[in-house]
Amino acid sequence: MSGKTKAKRPGPGMRRRNLRRNTLPALAQAGPVSVWMIVFVTLPTLFIIYISFMSRGVFGDVVYEFSLESYQTLLDATYFKVILKSLRVAVFTTMACLVIGYPFAYYIARKPREQASRLIMLIMIPFWTNSLMRLNSWLLLFQTSGPVNNFLQWAGLTDSPITFIYTDGLVALGMVTNMLPFAVLPLYSTIEKLEKSLLEASSDLGASPAKTFMRITLPLTFPGIFSAIILTFIPALGIYTVSDILGGGKVLYIGNIIKNQFGQIRNWPLGAALSVLLLAITALLIFIYTRFAKLEDMEVV
Amino acid sequence: MKKTLALALSLLLVLALAACGGGDSSSGAPASTPAAADSTAEPASTGDDDTPASSELNIYMWQQYISDSLIADFEAANNCKINLSYMSDNADAITKLTAGGGQDYDLIMTCDAYMESLVAGGYVQEIDFSAIPNASNINEAYWTAKEYCVPYLMNYIYIVYNSETCPVEITGYNDLIDPALKGQITTIDGARNLFPIALIALGYDPNSTEESEIAEAYEWLVKFNENVVSYGSTEQNLTNGTASVALTYDGNVSWAMAELGENNTLKIADFKEDAVQLGFDLYVIPTGAKHIDLAEKFLNYICDPEVMAKNLEEYPYSCPNDAAVAAASESYQNDPARDFAYKENVFFQEDVGEALTIYNDYYQKLKVGG
Repeated sequence: MSGKTKAKRPGPGMRRRNLRRNTLPALAQAGPVSVWMIVFVTLPTLFIIYISFMSRGVFGDVVYEFSLESYQTLLDATYFKVILKSLRVAVFTTMACLVIGYPFAYYIARKPREQASRLIMLIMIPFWTNSLMRLNSWLLLFQTSGPVNNFLQWAGLTDSPITFIYTDGLVALGMVTNMLPFAVLPLYSTIEKLEKSLLEASSDLGASPAKTFMRITLPLTFPGIFSAIILTFIPALGIYTVSDILGGGKVLYIGNIIKNQFGQIRNWPLGAALSVLLLAITALLIFIYTRFAKLEDMEVV
Repeated sequence: MKKTLALALSLLLVLALAACGGGDSSSGAPASTPAAADSTAEPASTGDDDTPASSELNIYMWQQYISDSLIADFEAANNCKINLSYMSDNADAITKLTAGGGQDYDLIMTCDAYMESLVAGGYVQEIDFSAIPNASNINEAYWTAKEYCVPYLMNYIYIVYNSETCPVEITGYNDLIDPALKGQITTIDGARNLFPIALIALGYDPNSTEESEIAEAYEWLVKFNENVVSYGSTEQNLTNGTASVALTYDGNVSWAMAELGENNTLKIADFKEDAVQLGFDLYVIPTGAKHIDLAEKFLNYICDPEVMAKNLEEYPYSCPNDAAVAAASESYQNDPARDFAYKENVFFQEDVGEALTIYNDYYQKLKVGG
């Protein structure tokens, strides 16, 4: 009621002008993106949430009847274990990508521009091939009669071939190699922007290189670290192709479980509930993270 | 400047919206007319020979399962285009069929286990066998739901092992849970492929619907899982030495043996009592298919003994088409992968109805490692 009277006070002409001056341009600028987001992000997500509250039919179809069955299934200890395992792998992958990616990005950023862009190119080249192709080449390299085992035997380091493939170790290797560029690129872009004069000033004032790094470089490149973490952690948590191919169907993470629900096992509501759970975990982690870092600091190349 | 930009953008937005809206309303009407025309034309084309023959055939099936030259020959002979789409799981075909597969496909491949439900659900169309005289070549013993499908190839799911590297001799499923085989087994995946072997090992019906029996089978499979190194890629794992035992299809073993050639040390397990699974892949015409005339021609074509014999050379699976097997090459007929004594001691996958969810739940638990 009060809103109505308030809106009336400026008069109809004013309102029309406001509409033309503010609302329309704002709508025009945000409109296309909003429409895009609503159609391709919001609606599918809502549909997933909706499906997760439905029940499953015997034939694997979705029965549109309210049920909390899927969420009850999630309480089962088996799924908890898988989620824990997936989180552990995602954290490991993220940490490994940071530990490898940071010095790497630092090294590139200190190079002259032309060389740097060539080095960045080197990171991108493997990504011109399909990731499944790259994963299968890991398999070929490490298989029982593959080059790595042949070399180890030839060098006398081992008597019988070592089983590398279909192990957690190889899956971890696959994850790190797959995610590394997503860590290096944002790190590179922040490190590159770092003012050299600040480092010089720090050492002029008597700080050791280690101290300079801890007090100057690291805090200033934090936005890059933050986006590197986000960009590697989220895909690492949900990806299923790596564990599918390198894990031989024995190493299962939450992504594989979700994929199986929509494929082989045909329990869409459970798959949807797992997706919702994954969404919630990701949202929670980002929320916790934003307590420490400002979201605006996040830098995505 | 900013104002004009905003104005331009808003204009664009309005235009885009108008285009969307306009597109919707204008495309709505014409889109429905061809569809309507189609649906009136279709029954005519199936019953009446006057209407022009279809020039397009859409098939949904397994990848790596039919000879490219066979497809090309059919296209040339009938002046048509075959669009092959591939499934990655039997469940995919079921999804397509139950979601009105006839809209997109004229032939869908599925397996014997699902036929009962598919017929009952009205998802598949009765086939006019007067248009498929070559179907008489197919062995009746391998034909379920005869009015609704044409069997294509069949698969024995048996055990094969490397006689040099495998530490135990395998004569039954229970040998597979021997701890000596830890990390040695490569196997095909899927609840309805794994649970039956456990049920047989325990002395139950392989198509059991009793939860207690399935639960026991799960316990058996947990031990089996300990020994499994990989699900899938059985052929490669056998040839490159990753695994010494495989539960897999005879066609894949044929390839593995051919690849090993002279050095073939693979041996088909000499089963004494346990039955092995025999499954058929068959073609069905989904309800509402649009190019039935061509689909029938295609089915007749692949049932031709000469055509199928050539296909078998490339895809050396077992075949229910007796005349084709007789016409097949020496190498196919003497394939060591099909040289085993217990071909008659088989079981089939049956529709287990609601129990399927019990299987799936235990299967999930097995794979997660609960």
